[in-house]
Amino acid sequence: MSADGGRRGLIDPRLARRVALTRRYLAVAVAVGSGATVCLVAQAILLGFVIEHVLLDHASLTSVVPQIIGLGGAFVLRAACSWAGEWAAHHTSAQVTSTLRRQLIARAVALGPSWLATERTGELTSAATQGVEALDTFFARYLPTAVLAGLTPVLLLVFILRTDWPSFIILAATVSVIPLFMVLLGLEAKQNATHQWARLSELSATFYDVIQGLPTLRAFGRARAGRRTLERANEEFRATTMSTLRVAFLSSLALEVLASVGTALVALFLGLRLLDGTVHLGMALAVLILAPEVYLPLRRAGAEFHASAAGQAAAGRILDILDDGEPAAADRPAPDTDGTRRPPEVAASPIWFRRVEFRYPGRSVPVLDGVDLTIDPGEHLAITGESGSGKSTLLWLMLGFVRPSHGTLTVGGVDLRDLSLRDWRQQVAWVPQLPYLVRGTMADNLLLGHPGAGDRALTRSIELSGLAGLVERLPRGVDTLVGEGGVTLSAGERQRIALGRAILRDAPLVFLDEPTAHLDADREASLRDALTPWLEDRTVVVAAHRRGLVGRVDHTVTLVGGQLVDVAPTGWPETRSLVVRP
Amino acid sequence: MARDTITGGPAVSLDTVTPRSAGSTLRTVVRVGAPPRSRVLLGTVLGSATAVCTVALLACSGALIDKAALRPPLYTLTVLMAAVQLLALGRGPLRYGERLVSHDAALGALGRVRMWLYDQVEPRSPAGLANCRTGDLLARATSDVDLLQDLYLRGISPVIVAGVTSLVAVVAVVVVLPVAGLVLAAGLTGAGALMSVVAWTRQHRLGATEEALRGELAADVVELLRAAPDLVALGRDGDYLEQTLASDAALTRLACRRSWTEGAMSAISVVFTGATVVALLAVAIPAVGIHRLPGYMLAVLPLVALGAFEVVAPLADAVSRLTHHVEAARRLLEIADIPLPVTDPADPAPTPVDTDVSLQNADLRYGPDHPRALDGLTLSLPAGRRVALVGPSGAGKSSVVNVLLRFWALEDGEAAIGGTSLDQLSQETTRGLIGWVAQDTHLFNTTIGANIALARPSADEAEIAGAARAAQLGPWIDSLPRGLDTPVGEQGAQLSGGQRQRLALARALLARAPVLVLDEPTSGLDRPTAQRLVHDVLTATTGISLLYITHRTGEVANFDKVIVVDNGKVIGDIDPKASCPVCRCGIWPDHTHGCGAPSMSSPDPSGRASRA
Repeated sequence: MSADGGRRGLIDPRLARRVALTRRYLAVAVAVGSGATVCLVAQAILLGFVIEHVLLDHASLTSVVPQIIGLGGAFVLRAACSWAGEWAAHHTSAQVTSTLRRQLIARAVALGPSWLATERTGELTSAATQGVEALDTFFARYLPTAVLAGLTPVLLLVFILRTDWPSFIILAATVSVIPLFMVLLGLEAKQNATHQWARLSELSATFYDVIQGLPTLRAFGRARAGRRTLERANEEFRATTMSTLRVAFLSSLALEVLASVGTALVALFLGLRLLDGTVHLGMALAVLILAPEVYLPLRRAGAEFHASAAGQAAAGRILDILDDGEPAAADRPAPDTDGTRRPPEVAASPIWFRRVEFRYPGRSVPVLDGVDLTIDPGEHLAITGESGSGKSTLLWLMLGFVRPSHGTLTVGGVDLRDLSLRDWRQQVAWVPQLPYLVRGTMADNLLLGHPGAGDRALTRSIELSGLAGLVERLPRGVDTLVGEGGVTLSAGERQRIALGRAILRDAPLVFLDEPTAHLDADREASLRDALTPWLEDRTVVVAAHRRGLVGRVDHTVTLVGGQLVDVAPTGWPETRSLVVRP
Repeated sequence: MARDTITGGPAVSLDTVTPRSAGSTLRTVVRVGAPPRSRVLLGTVLGSATAVCTVALLACSGALIDKAALRPPLYTLTVLMAAVQLLALGRGPLRYGERLVSHDAALGALGRVRMWLYDQVEPRSPAGLANCRTGDLLARATSDVDLLQDLYLRGISPVIVAGVTSLVAVVAVVVVLPVAGLVLAAGLTGAGALMSVVAWTRQHRLGATEEALRGELAADVVELLRAAPDLVALGRDGDYLEQTLASDAALTRLACRRSWTEGAMSAISVVFTGATVVALLAVAIPAVGIHRLPGYMLAVLPLVALGAFEVVAPLADAVSRLTHHVEAARRLLEIADIPLPVTDPADPAPTPVDTDVSLQNADLRYGPDHPRALDGLTLSLPAGRRVALVGPSGAGKSSVVNVLLRFWALEDGEAAIGGTSLDQLSQETTRGLIGWVAQDTHLFNTTIGANIALARPSADEAEIAGAARAAQLGPWIDSLPRGLDTPVGEQGAQLSGGQRQRLALARALLARAPVLVLDEPTSGLDRPTAQRLVHDVLTATTGISLLYITHRTGEVANFDKVIVVDNGKVIGDIDPKASCPVCRCGIWPDHTHGCGAPSMSSPDPSGRASRA
């Protein structure tokens, strides 16, 4: 299987195109493998020669010293080849995985947040981490054995053909049957293995599901039943796996039997012909020593075969993402390619939506459909609408994360497409619905948008965003680690950190996306009081379905079915009321 | 006694766990997953027999050829010829048997380790694991268990087989020529030891760093991709990309450095093979000269060496795998080191008849260095009444749930049901009396019906459907082509937030517990959906005591009593029927919500905690 794998191309041609290193590695591997094989042949010849002379010519140790030194030399050379081969394999593997990881990450970042958000962050992350790891196994473990499996048996057989053709016939016949057996048995085994792999992931998933649901199981007194379920699943998995393995291992049984029977036949025939005196002992021993070496690379490659399947699959997945990322369709959300024009001053430039339509690729229904909207400098605009009505998309358009499929979006008369988005975003402070906390301290997270800000600005942003209480409660104040691996914060607290980030940025244009979705009523009210003066002179666009942080609202627009149906003075639904009895 | 686990136990933080030695870690995990001894023995015997067969085949072939070269009569060779044939034919089936037995043992061990992990996690879930990044821990544990299935196959078994085969080969050679036996023994031990030492130190010197870098890089990648919108909007994507690429470069440099050792490992085995073969010739040739050794054995000795080294070579791989296994096992054992938050009393009290629930001066903390989550909290839920517990996030509402469901024990004070302290009841009894609808309900990857029936497996179809109807799931389930048999998808992915919570309600109703605790069942739902759910909850639970926990104050109008908690204590209660006459917009005593009305209860808007 590995032999015909060699014919079909060991490495995905797309991979070879992207990473030129792989081709160079193949050349090195072939060179080193040939060198090692030559050493192997030399060893066999020298060992045979020494034994023949001592046994038949009664030579003394001193008379064969040069040959024994040569033998030692051949071993040393082979060790060097083996060292070089392993080194090249691991070195290449490190380089290739690094290159692919870099390409993948750079590509994803270049495609921009809309691609990341709408497409498949999870898949991408797993490709960039686990996928690349699987590729490491492929390059470091499978590929070297596969190269040797294609190379060493052929070279050895050429030597044996020139030395002793009857042995060649035995070995060539058995070796050439191996791929046939492999194909016959391997096909079924492979299918079973895939099945089995799926079943194993299923079992792992069941296990994870039960463990995750343990609180529920315990609450309903069903923990023991959950255990029984798992136990049964385990036992079933073991039973079915064993029944597949019984068949799957037949292929390796065939390989083992062929290898040992081949070796034995070579030995028996050599023995018989030695009795006749038709062969020399030295050559006979050399052929005997080399006979198992003909099978060995094939057996090794067979053992690493599973690494090949996983690695090929991982490579395919990564290459798919790299190639698929090309922005082919015109209506695809725009990759983050910047214009060059410097943006006009927001403080003096209105933002215009003119018949803006936006649809995600492959969707027939547009998210926004012919939106006309003007946002004047200093205006406080509220966008309301059901969840999914396109409020966030409207903000994303203004952030340059996505581009209108039709229509134009201009700032002070300049199309957003022509602006340097980096410079444009400098003027924007955005509080997303689900902000992400980077690994680091609370201060790191607040300062993310303005790393150079001083302590006073930081303190002020903490006060304005209503984080003071939280900071006080945290064991190390603003130096407490938050985000992944740090203190767990609630959605509301995360959003207030994003608010603090926005405040520190001190940008003239503020976008708030459902800023109070996770806040309770009193906190919302006190935040509103604190924020009102800060928001006063800025242009504010708030997407929300009820009164939130924004005290003064000049206009309210409502999105229904992707269209602005209503432009009216402010009017928010109020919260219900209750009175506390002290 | 349950209290002791908290005051006396160590902090529930993984950092405080003392590190174990690699040996004891492996021993523990091997003991946990130990397959029946006969299996292990059979596997080892078959594996070693296969390896010995391989070596013997080479040896006999060599002897056959050498003897034949001396042109003896054919019959003197028949024994050797038969041996060669037998060994050649025997090796395959031996290997086949060995693989089956060892895989069976490995799968059995995998199952046992998995069940062991379940037994460790079960009594600690969920509150006991809350402090240690649960998701991460459990995900890692699941993959660690999967990794451990290789422990026998590729870790332990090759080491044993290499040892046994070397021993057999050495003994055989010693019988023929003692000096040669010593040479072979020295060669094999030297190679094995050197490879193990290199593999082990490599793992300890570079492995830990590499593992750390790998984790760092993975975290960087995840962060860069997930935080991309925030980073791009803040203009920081470039910096983070740089940082990720720098981690990648560091890892690549390390991997390149390591590739030298990888090469060295394979070179060691070849060099030792060569040295041993040369040394064997050096002692055997003179021995033949003085007729101390039969001439035909001359080829046998180097061939035995070549065969035996073939079996020892995989040691390097096995050792480096073992180091990974040790790491995985160590992480798993960390879970077992987390103290149990609650234990059952030795002699549990009988199930109380009454179902009044009360908390008296309850103090609770999740670890010695943690602040009090409950701080002298007192509340009562008389049978059949409906009490709402409101308060901001972090006020201690969920800790009340942890106490009532016996997920965590009190530090001081008392929790009781029907006058019996929860300490004196078995956890099962308590949970039989108190039903639960969680904030984020876990739905199992099975059908709607099975998810509901979980609460009471003896329930028949009609009872399940009844519970579903009571939770107002009826019309929706009827609209599904497969009804109750519709799968919910992984973690209930195919259901909306409202449907999930109703399903959880149906589950709780089916359990028929006299007391029902609902922990923020409306979080994550939009306002109209939430209002409808609350209405339906109240309709469906007539006659059941209800403790309804929420931070949404608009939902509590129809409850008998509304208790406000903050900082782990009760700070007052609200008359749910009255409303603020001035602003009609909020409930908090201090009017910090900005309606502009003067405070109704307290002149001090910041002193909420002191107002208990």
